[in-house]
Amino acid sequence: MKRLKKMIHNCSYLTALLCTWLFLTAGGIALMFYRDYDAVKWSEFCSNPFFAIIFKEEMHRAADPVLPEKPVMAEADLSNISNEQTKAHVSDLEKAHSEQGENQAPAVNDQKPQTGGHRLPPPDREANLPKNDLSADEKQTGRTVFVTYTPVETNSIYYYDAGKLALTTEYPYTTVEEEYFDDAVFFGDSRTLGISDYAGLNADFYCENGMTIYKLLDEKGVTDQKSGVKVNLNQVLQQKHYGKIYMMLGMNELGYRDTEYFLERYQEVVEQIRSWQPDAIIYILANLHVSREKNNLETEFNNININAKNAAVAELADGTDVFYLDSNPLFTDNDGYLNDDLTFDGVHLYANCYQEWKTFLMEHGVVKKDEG
Amino acid sequence: MLFSSIVFLFRFLPIFLFIYLLVPEKYRNLVLLSGSLIFYGVGEPYYVLLLIFSILVNYGAGRLIYRRKMQKKRNPKAGKGVLILALVYNFAMLFTFKYWDFAAENVNGLLTDTGWEIPVLQLALPLGISFYTFQIVSYLLDCYRLNFYRGHIKERASFVQFAAYVSMFPQLIAGPIVKYEEVEEGLKQRSISSRKIEEGLKLFSIGLGLKVLLANQIGTLWNSIMTAGAGNLSAAAAWMGAFAYSFQIYFDFWGYSLMAQGLGIVLGFQLPKNFNNPYVSKSLSEFWRRWHITLGRWFKEYLYIPLGGNRRGFLRTTFNLLVVWFLTGLWHGADWNFVLWGLFFFLLLSIEKTGLGKRLEKSKVIGHLYVILLIPVTWVIFAISDKQQLLCYLQNLVGIHTGDIIVGSTQILRYLKEYGILFIFCILFALPYPMRLYRKFKNKWYVILIVAVVFWFSVYEIMIGSDNPFLYFRF
Repeated sequence: MKRLKKMIHNCSYLTALLCTWLFLTAGGIALMFYRDYDAVKWSEFCSNPFFAIIFKEEMHRAADPVLPEKPVMAEADLSNISNEQTKAHVSDLEKAHSEQGENQAPAVNDQKPQTGGHRLPPPDREANLPKNDLSADEKQTGRTVFVTYTPVETNSIYYYDAGKLALTTEYPYTTVEEEYFDDAVFFGDSRTLGISDYAGLNADFYCENGMTIYKLLDEKGVTDQKSGVKVNLNQVLQQKHYGKIYMMLGMNELGYRDTEYFLERYQEVVEQIRSWQPDAIIYILANLHVSREKNNLETEFNNININAKNAAVAELADGTDVFYLDSNPLFTDNDGYLNDDLTFDGVHLYANCYQEWKTFLMEHGVVKKDEG
Repeated sequence: MLFSSIVFLFRFLPIFLFIYLLVPEKYRNLVLLSGSLIFYGVGEPYYVLLLIFSILVNYGAGRLIYRRKMQKKRNPKAGKGVLILALVYNFAMLFTFKYWDFAAENVNGLLTDTGWEIPVLQLALPLGISFYTFQIVSYLLDCYRLNFYRGHIKERASFVQFAAYVSMFPQLIAGPIVKYEEVEEGLKQRSISSRKIEEGLKLFSIGLGLKVLLANQIGTLWNSIMTAGAGNLSAAAAWMGAFAYSFQIYFDFWGYSLMAQGLGIVLGFQLPKNFNNPYVSKSLSEFWRRWHITLGRWFKEYLYIPLGGNRRGFLRTTFNLLVVWFLTGLWHGADWNFVLWGLFFFLLLSIEKTGLGKRLEKSKVIGHLYVILLIPVTWVIFAISDKQQLLCYLQNLVGIHTGDIIVGSTQILRYLKEYGILFIFCILFALPYPMRLYRKFKNKWYVILIVAVVFWFSVYEIMIGSDNPFLYFRF
């Protein structure tokens, strides 16, 4: 006992560290039982001490958000539309275009999709489209086209090559003035933050670094870029009325669960937002690709994964009030990599590029006829 | 494995220390050696073989040189052949892995019309090769000078001692560049006491804090400024970025060196100090006496002085300085901006040598201002490899703008709001006072408490993933 006392006295710092470690580990184990987590996997234990659970608890929680209760009616309506109609719509389209896709497949293959790049479709692509249904429909409906190609084999728990690229929803867009954005809102991660900082749009921006679709409606809130305060979007979206909703999320989700899980959550969030903002036009913005240097096939951080996520969320675009906009062609090279001249870190655009992006957004205004 | 990684902090280090402290003293070098190889091998499973091969080759070379010396005690040049062969091997390795592609690209640029082309190898840089190569070279040269140049190494190192000296994990991947004489005693016999373990762990925690809580955080400011693009900055934003990067690189590297020093103390070694408050210098020559001390010492002892130092007249001195600074620049990275960075120092230091330096060091304010304004500029050159961007950034610093200013006062206000407090902390820790206070009160309970809080807060930051690797690992 005396020796122990002396040891503690001599090694007070080491003792403090060890005690804290023990304490945290005990807390971690307790939490594991309390939260009913599966026993920590051996592989995870090798790289993470038990108390990691305490620190990671936050992330677990954020990743599985408990969405607030939805109005039952709206849910029924929406799930109807988005699940069945959209999917039917999409599969129709896929069928319709699979021929085209197959025709293109050799071309796409020639262009080495294994590099993770995203080749732009041949320029005559647009001309091939049957446009008759657009004019025939009384209500204008856009369609989201997917270009298919032979998927590349991947070995990751986070993603697989979807084998298709989503293109901007085809629709007779109107070029709009800046006032268009007065009742617009943007949700997104660091790239959307760039739009907020440098595009000079008079819209509301709820975005921050590292934002994910899982955290978007979290009670902890998202930073309102106008005031710099964290706000709870559940409240904001119920109080304020927006005409246009732009969302670009998916980058920080690349390494969490898989594409299906991502899409599931994305769809839930979109439905949730729709129930609060029934008249809004929802724009789903494609996640921007990364540069050749950043494109890493060893990890989950590459354009194949980004394309898979983009193609997944593009399926939510129904062409009537949900649209998918792919701004990648503005900033990527022929292989689909983010242009090296436009980025420092291979992920984010330089400040001066956002004007072009702004123009792109302005060229894709949706003005409903009945609104004049 | 990074020091600032959970695997190192909570898996490798505790297990290693437990075994290290438990085994009898005569096996400690062996434990240290195997631990270090595991430490290196986890991150570099193939290049660890290169490291082992280098150790074997150089141990053999060192032995041969030593034997020649013993055979021909009168001949100061004994062992020269072996030495040269060994040096060629070491620098060839360094060149192949670090400089081949750079050289090939430049030569190919000259050869475009002739149709000849040197292949680009695209080898990944083995972690810490610049550091351990320099350390090995210092050992070989010390061995060679055994007879005629301050005989520091008293006895031939055994294989385990030499291998442990080269691969010792606290300093293996980012220095300090230790001379053999500094750890010779320790490798033969070292005492480990609870007092030393305490002291070492505390120093390690402070280093971790500097790295994780200061360098990484201020680094995000530099990143956001560079992400916005060098072409879009106002002068004020450019300066803000330059200061942020200056703090980032300092706390990053100093933090690492402190961690290495702390671990060294825990293991029973006294590793040399690498930093001595460089940002409070009054001239650039003083700055380099305080910044990365062990690298400056290496170039001085093993290059500058053998070249003749400053004893062969003004022209020769200038030439020697030119060589030293060219190579110092190149050592930091295989790109022209590093060379430019080195030559910039050469220019300024040559000017200082004319007497300006002495005057600046005597001044009270001007010297500080001179260093505070020039050092960020040198770091900008250091940081940006792209020529266009670098030119753009330097122009922004002096207020010449070629493009639109997009990052102006609104952004600066935002940055100040976000990073203002961090800047104050950075300035504070760039001054000598915090460490002085620490040394004075380091055994008081409240200091221990603060250090423990810093440690756990750093762990928290690492856990939530705002950590990024050490800047100096690139070299």
